[in-house]
Amino acid sequence: MTQSGLRVVGRDHPIADAALKVTGGLVYGIDMDLPRMLHARLLLSPVAHAHIVGIDASKALALPGVIAVFSHLNAPAAPYSRYRILPGQALCPEDETLFTATARFVGDRVAAVVATDAQTAADAVALVDVDYEELPELLTPEAALREGASPIHPAGNLLHEFDQTVGEPIARRADAVTVTITVATPRLHHAAIEPHLCLADYDESGKLTIWSPTQSVFGARTVVADLFGLSYNRVRVIKVPMGGSFGGKQEFILEPVTAFMAMATKRPVKLVLDRAQCIAGTMVRPATVSRVSLGVSRDGRLEDVDVDTVLDAGAYATSSPDYAGMMAHKLTRLYRVPHYHHHGRVAYTTTPVGGGCRGYGAPEFVTALEIAFDQVARELGIDPIDLRLQNLVQPHDIDALSGMSLGDARVRECLERGAEAFGWRERLRTPRGDERRRIGVGMACGAHKNGILSTDFPDFSTMAMKMNEDGSVALSASLHEVGCGTRTAMALIIAEELEMSPDLVSITEADSDTTPYDFGCFGSRVTYVCGAAARGTAAALKARLVELAALVMQRPAHELRAHDGRVEAVVGPAEYLPYGAVVMAAKTRLSEDAFVHYTHRATSNPGAYSVQFAEVSVDCATGLTTVTDFLAVGDVGQAINRLMVEGQFVGAVQMGIGSALCEEVRLDDRGRPPAGGFKTYHIVNAPDMPKVRVLLVEHEGDEGPYGAKSVGEIAVVPTAAAVVNAINQALGTSLADLPVTPEKIVAALAQGQGD
Amino acid sequence: MRLSFEVNGVRRELDVDPAARLIDVLRDELGLTGTKEGCGEGECGACTVLIDDRAVDSCLVIAAQVRDKRVLTVEGLARDGELDVLQQQFIDHGAVQCGFCTPGMLMSAKALLLAHPQPSERQIRVALAGNLCRCTGYGAIIAAVTAAGRALAAGGEAWGPESAAEPAADGEASRALNEAGVPPVFGGLLSADTPAAGDDSR
Amino acid sequence: MSATRLLTPRDRSELTAALGEMTRDSRLLAGGTDLVRATTQQRHRPDLIVDLSAMAELDHVTLDDGLLRVGAMATFTRLQADPLVVRHARCLALAAAAVGSLQIRNVATVGGNVANASPCGDSIPALLALGAEVEIWDGAGRTRREPLEAVLAGAGKTTLSCGEAIVGFSFAALDDGVRATFAKIGSRSTLSVARLSVAVVVGYQAAEGRLTTARVALGAVGETAFRDAQVEASLAGHRADSDTAFAFMEQCAAAVCRSIPGRHSLDYKCGAAVGLADDAWRGLDLSSPVELSTVS
Repeated sequence: MTQSGLRVVGRDHPIADAALKVTGGLVYGIDMDLPRMLHARLLLSPVAHAHIVGIDASKALALPGVIAVFSHLNAPAAPYSRYRILPGQALCPEDETLFTATARFVGDRVAAVVATDAQTAADAVALVDVDYEELPELLTPEAALREGASPIHPAGNLLHEFDQTVGEPIARRADAVTVTITVATPRLHHAAIEPHLCLADYDESGKLTIWSPTQSVFGARTVVADLFGLSYNRVRVIKVPMGGSFGGKQEFILEPVTAFMAMATKRPVKLVLDRAQCIAGTMVRPATVSRVSLGVSRDGRLEDVDVDTVLDAGAYATSSPDYAGMMAHKLTRLYRVPHYHHHGRVAYTTTPVGGGCRGYGAPEFVTALEIAFDQVARELGIDPIDLRLQNLVQPHDIDALSGMSLGDARVRECLERGAEAFGWRERLRTPRGDERRRIGVGMACGAHKNGILSTDFPDFSTMAMKMNEDGSVALSASLHEVGCGTRTAMALIIAEELEMSPDLVSITEADSDTTPYDFGCFGSRVTYVCGAAARGTAAALKARLVELAALVMQRPAHELRAHDGRVEAVVGPAEYLPYGAVVMAAKTRLSEDAFVHYTHRATSNPGAYSVQFAEVSVDCATGLTTVTDFLAVGDVGQAINRLMVEGQFVGAVQMGIGSALCEEVRLDDRGRPPAGGFKTYHIVNAPDMPKVRVLLVEHEGDEGPYGAKSVGEIAVVPTAAAVVNAINQALGTSLADLPVTPEKIVAALAQGQGD
Repeated sequence: MRLSFEVNGVRRELDVDPAARLIDVLRDELGLTGTKEGCGEGECGACTVLIDDRAVDSCLVIAAQVRDKRVLTVEGLARDGELDVLQQQFIDHGAVQCGFCTPGMLMSAKALLLAHPQPSERQIRVALAGNLCRCTGYGAIIAAVTAAGRALAAGGEAWGPESAAEPAADGEASRALNEAGVPPVFGGLLSADTPAAGDDSR
Repeated sequence: MSATRLLTPRDRSELTAALGEMTRDSRLLAGGTDLVRATTQQRHRPDLIVDLSAMAELDHVTLDDGLLRVGAMATFTRLQADPLVVRHARCLALAAAAVGSLQIRNVATVGGNVANASPCGDSIPALLALGAEVEIWDGAGRTRREPLEAVLAGAGKTTLSCGEAIVGFSFAALDDGVRATFAKIGSRSTLSVARLSVAVVVGYQAAEGRLTTARVALGAVGETAFRDAQVEASLAGHRADSDTAFAFMEQCAAAVCRSIPGRHSLDYKCGAAVGLADDAWRGLDLSSPVELSTVS
């Protein structure tokens, strides 16, 4: 429900560039052409672990149109981290090189061909002969961490280990219950429909320009500039329109190698990956296995939580140490618990590289936790909802881990209102289906955050804004639109603050040369921190208009206010100037500009919450599961663009259902993914999506713009658990190895599991 | 080889490689970059265009096969500067997020409405089964196509070139197959609004 | 890469000439969905492509004297809706509707599907159950007809030689006393390669409630789709009742188990075969309800 008095915030708005998208007019990276541009294609390793002992590019180079073939033999060997945004950032092991001398997974970058056209580059890749001296494959963390396993990197295969404890163990009664369950989440493909690509140019003046659908231009600039020893002002990274990311384009996968090829050829180079290369050769959501032990009192109070997680980083470290640690930050945002211990290990394996994915470990952790919670409910014979209500946090609880306030945490309300809207209790009480198809319901609670502010790291965003002579405004900010309507949301916030039509607000995207610093689009910080910055910048512009008008009108500023398109007197003689007139007069009479910059510094990082409810129909004969109904409830503070907020939830549910039922980058016993892209990696398509209802809880209680909180990541956090819990409720099973495929269901039923 | 065909209402004649894919001819030779390549294997549907009013994956069509046929791409939906009702409904319903699947999605929806002006929800879902979206979860897209169907019925406006509609099918069973696009009994597909043979649920 | 030639014959004599020019590196082009994927993925460019899309005489569905003829270039969209196919070869219409997505069905052809000979090809079990014969032309102007079983040689393989082309299929049109259906289990409800498929054609004497003849073909298990005599025997001559349904389901499961010994998908497919058979039995619409829980 939109708070009263808002004109544009909270309503339905199509995104501003929708007209471009529906006419095919939006130019994505793949559509860009530069004069003299060359085309690059990668040669990726077909083997999981091998020394590269020979590369013969002669046949490729002989093909007309081939300009160069690059590999470790003729490219810099300095290692870097594709995850690093800031110089000296912690937990960013530098173990990746432009081209590898040792293939460490099927998909590792071995070589690249640069040619005058894409077809020739692709044909030439097939002509590069590589000799591999194979080494043992280590395809699971278990195998990689075994005594005597070959080291994938010199420091060994245990990449990271952490041990975190919150609170103290408490005395437990004899009738207390402990349930232990091991939950596995698979390696996933982010599956943005736009494949990965990058375009770079290096001109005669030594300026490197990179066009990339990236989530952080400053991060890309930092990694590339540091790698090649360029000063930051000589590397310009421009964010281009993006066809989805979900975290898959947050790390700097293609920018370094594309930059290198542009610098080596001194021409623009466009590097494009095909779908199979995107699946294996960019990043995957890392596979996790968590053993969760929940100690609960007989009446359902959480007493003790012990978790042991193993995360498969794949062949290079990237974000995995940080990502694994983040998994341990979620429990205390969601539940009150006296004692929580989480041990985690991150292992290198010779498999596709893990990287950040929507939710950043929260979906994986919450999946494990919420499946475990349902098992507890079954053991205690109580309704899963009631079990949650015994333990969920309350508004303004302190997160026991960080010591920070959870803010206006409305997860309990999400649960209660959701349960009623879903008809939970009736559906749970009334078994439905027939002997072939069993129908079940499940739910799950999830928590996430609003930005990257922590006790040892800040969060802030700087923006600049000018008003044009006609009263329209232009925002200069390092925004990274991933496709969910970020720029429109900023325009709405600014339009609301300035009381003008959003059509009069233009919004830039990030350009490391020209827009003020912002960390980037990740960590659920954009609405909460950048949105607050946008509002603050607009407020600063209003103040500046008053200041200028005071000078123009020769009145004390305190007698004036900016309101509804004009600066007007509030006391004394009535007079006013429309905004545009203030700007014109300032320019022509005062040599002044209606231009401001503003930095918003976050002082809070409240919880983001969603509770989701699923109904499934499981075909016991074939194991195929259909999600027949779904309700997503979100504690969003205030929807900025209601249409897009709802759209984010529905889209997230598609992703969560896929991760529960069918999505997995499976490798064979040689570490190879299946041939084909979407033919073998199935994401949920239209016939299989349920109608998803979205219910928003809006209490505007925190410091986001107009009380808004983040949406895009929290929306996917509890989805998979809700679906798996529904399957287990339908069948009476304890399936916990995702994806819960038809095979696993049929096998479980054949083994007599379930009732 | 010389290839002559109609694109978005205009007759074109080009020299193309005999083995060239239609998507490459459209994007690279004709500059119609609205059609996108998401997978190159006919699974994601981002490359969907219409050939004689039928939806096809242009990444799997040899360009030579469109000789003397009518091709419609997303750039051809708007007429005289006016958006097609489908395009407008996509905008209004929030069916567009990142936009990469949008051109293909629109073309599949266009083909559907040309053949079945008042599609049921089931028909829409099946018609879009070969168009993958990762942003919207399809809900807003289905709502947009439904609304476009209703708007066309209400407005009675012309909605496309003379189209070869599906041949009239005799008998209830054939109509059910024709309209639903799926057989009435099909493992894993049963749901409340699947038309059973002979049922015309709209 | 040397340039590929393209020939687009428009009648039989042009096609014969084109077939005569084909080498081992040449390819026939029907709908293109298999050819383009293979060419792109394997980076192998044919020396010659013979494009069949202008062969209007190969895109037909006709009924003459009880014989249904389907041209090789008939698309799955056409077969799904054609009144003759729906009425006289219902299992083929259902199989056509189950192929890929609408975009694929609009261009993919039944001839291409059979020539590609994937073990999972949806049209193949349906054509086997219809007792289809394949008509083949070659580059010397000859015509031959073979039962479909004789043309399928293994996964991805047919007995066709270089320069031969499948031009059509023919089979006895099913009359009103015959029920036919097709069922498929994929990894999702649409847009999925088959993991199991079955086509069933049974003679049905409704007045007596008895099945007379039966042809059953299983797909996606084993190197090619195949008819199974034991499954057929569980139906032929039996009453259309739940006992027969159980026997049918059991025999389907047994046939699946026999066909893929040692494959890691065996456990799943044997189990899921019961569901497949249940779907097929319901698809025959013999008005006898079945209680699945009593099937072992």
